[in-house]
Amino acid sequence: MASIAAAQVQEVRSITRIERIGAHSHIRGLGLDDSLEPRAVSQGMVGQKMARKAAGVILQMIREGKIAGRAVLLAGQPGTGKTAIAMGLAQALGPDTPFTSMAGSEIYSLEMSKTEALTQAIRKSIGIRIKEESEIIEGEVVEVVVERAAGGGGARVGRLTLKTTDMETNYDLGAKMIDSLLKEKVQAGDVITIDKATGKINKLGRSFARARDYDATGQQARFVQCPEGELQKRKEVVHTVTLHEVDVINSRTHGFLALFSGDTGEIKSEIREQINSKVAEWREEGKAEMIPGVLFVDEAHMLDIECFSFLNRALESETAPVVIMATNRGITRIRGTNYRSPHGIPLDLLDRMIIVPTTPYSHQELREILNIRCEEEDCQMSADALTVLTRVATETSLRYAIQLITTASLVARRRKATEVSMEDVKKVYSLFLDEHRSEQFLKEYQDEFMFDDGAGGDNAPQMMEVSQ
Amino acid sequence: MKRTSSLIENLNDGSIKLKKTIISVNFENKMFRNTIWYKSLLGAEKSCLKEDKIKKVHYKFEDDREMVEEYNVDTQVLLRRAWKVKSKLGGDGKWEVEIGDPIPDPTPNVEIADIVESKDQPIVTRRNTRVNLEWRIRNLPYPISTYSISANNEEKCITVRTTNKKYFKKLQIPELIRLGLPIEQAHIQSTHQYNTLIIMYKKPQQLLDMDKEWYEELKQVKPIKDVPNECKAQ
Repeated sequence: MASIAAAQVQEVRSITRIERIGAHSHIRGLGLDDSLEPRAVSQGMVGQKMARKAAGVILQMIREGKIAGRAVLLAGQPGTGKTAIAMGLAQALGPDTPFTSMAGSEIYSLEMSKTEALTQAIRKSIGIRIKEESEIIEGEVVEVVVERAAGGGGARVGRLTLKTTDMETNYDLGAKMIDSLLKEKVQAGDVITIDKATGKINKLGRSFARARDYDATGQQARFVQCPEGELQKRKEVVHTVTLHEVDVINSRTHGFLALFSGDTGEIKSEIREQINSKVAEWREEGKAEMIPGVLFVDEAHMLDIECFSFLNRALESETAPVVIMATNRGITRIRGTNYRSPHGIPLDLLDRMIIVPTTPYSHQELREILNIRCEEEDCQMSADALTVLTRVATETSLRYAIQLITTASLVARRRKATEVSMEDVKKVYSLFLDEHRSEQFLKEYQDEFMFDDGAGGDNAPQMMEVSQ
Repeated sequence: MKRTSSLIENLNDGSIKLKKTIISVNFENKMFRNTIWYKSLLGAEKSCLKEDKIKKVHYKFEDDREMVEEYNVDTQVLLRRAWKVKSKLGGDGKWEVEIGDPIPDPTPNVEIADIVESKDQPIVTRRNTRVNLEWRIRNLPYPISTYSISANNEEKCITVRTTNKKYFKKLQIPELIRLGLPIEQAHIQSTHQYNTLIIMYKKPQQLLDMDKEWYEELKQVKPIKDVPNECKAQ
């Protein structure tokens, strides 16, 4: 038993160390040049030139920050890069602009009302840049130690030793701080600052004392002096907080009594009003700056009529972010009503939106995307295998073809090959069914399955939409 | 009483000196009354609470800041002084202790306090006596010869250095800053025992006078007799 537990711990550890590869982790921006013209292949983006150009215009609008409460709809077939464009936009905006991403169905599984969930999402997408005095720890890293507490599966324990030219101190680290130190790849010899209130880590460079180290310091390694004096200082720092964070800070004034009053995470509207007027005051005095961000609602057709009418109203507020929605539905029923409407969104809301269509990829573009994904998933693929895979993508779907990349590379690795060949792709193609072949299979053998009504799948689409 | 005895000593020293002393005493001895600090203390909204041998005074200043002081009734020594520090973004502030032992946090916020000094690291606490301002720095194992303690009048603090470059601290002296008094190296003394470095600064006459007068002043604030039950429980 003990060995199993140890193996599990090992597994957990390896996952937290490696940066995981997500469906859109190859996206690094919108792939536009300085004049916002889309490049053919850039920053992980391929094709979809019109939609990317449109996103570039929207990017410019957000950056200027003057216009509040615009809504954009990304509409297109499944697998045409709607989410990718939204992710690219988030990357292009940079870490200082709040970007909140949510799925339309998310609002139903929370312990709060739908409108509260939407309000919170909207307020998470508005940033406030404010100057505040903060406790800053600034020093050179002497040692970072992370170890797991004895007994297996215990919490991680971290210790950080920092020094200045005058002193040295040990710090105990919590789990979050350990994660962010690992993520920033902080190591001995780095000069860093840590904001004690927010836990934000900033790498200033390598210490001059380590300049002679011949270990792998990148070309862009910057060398700085080891700080002097006390490790901990009070400094004026510019913080970016979201309106939602300010709400939460102020709604917890009753301290831990809030725990007993059945705190479900809803925030009273008086508090929001109070904060709105306070923020307005700060802006007038020049103490704070407002950064309108982006709220991205994926699968927007999953919102219901209540949400849509709420959004109608919320978009008119001065403190509304730019709302980007994505949907892959055509003319369909609006959730919560019996009316049908394009994209499952009521016409009055559609009227307020600018709609950006995405179109299916061409053969060449699919090949390019698969190539990028191969690189991202660290998989060597021969040219003919890529051709086969592109064919698979054209005939079935891009998502299915992408699924085959890593599976095929695993098959190739089993036969100790360094490159994925056509045979490997064929093998996984036969091992894993795509949606179309699975349907074929069901149609053939449906009378052997349980609860079959023999109607040949006619009922299926209806079944999917009754869920309310 | 003490002051008159010192006057008598001066009298023996010579008549010229005596005149000077009287003038300076008359001029200096109530100078603290003109400081912003003393005026703000007078102007603050005060409430008082007596608990056993401890007198607790809560100040609410005109600029909305809050302060709490605790006095030992027998010795008239200030045991604790804490300020409520509110962040700019609002929310309930935290008590920051200026003098006395730190208040343990009943609900440590795990989310935010993700990096803290280890338990075995040096920690500074203030504990004043009747005649001295005192700093105690615990968890400092190095011998007394390691430390150099110097008055730094430019930055209005006492600087503690170690020859082994393990510890460095600038100790603020808000009491002197509030009265606009300089820091004098001659008034600094230090001892080291049980891993603790104790730094003492002799209170200047001004500060002694002010402490005394302020304690008299506080007697005018009537302690609240009927403490609500829920407060007593804590």
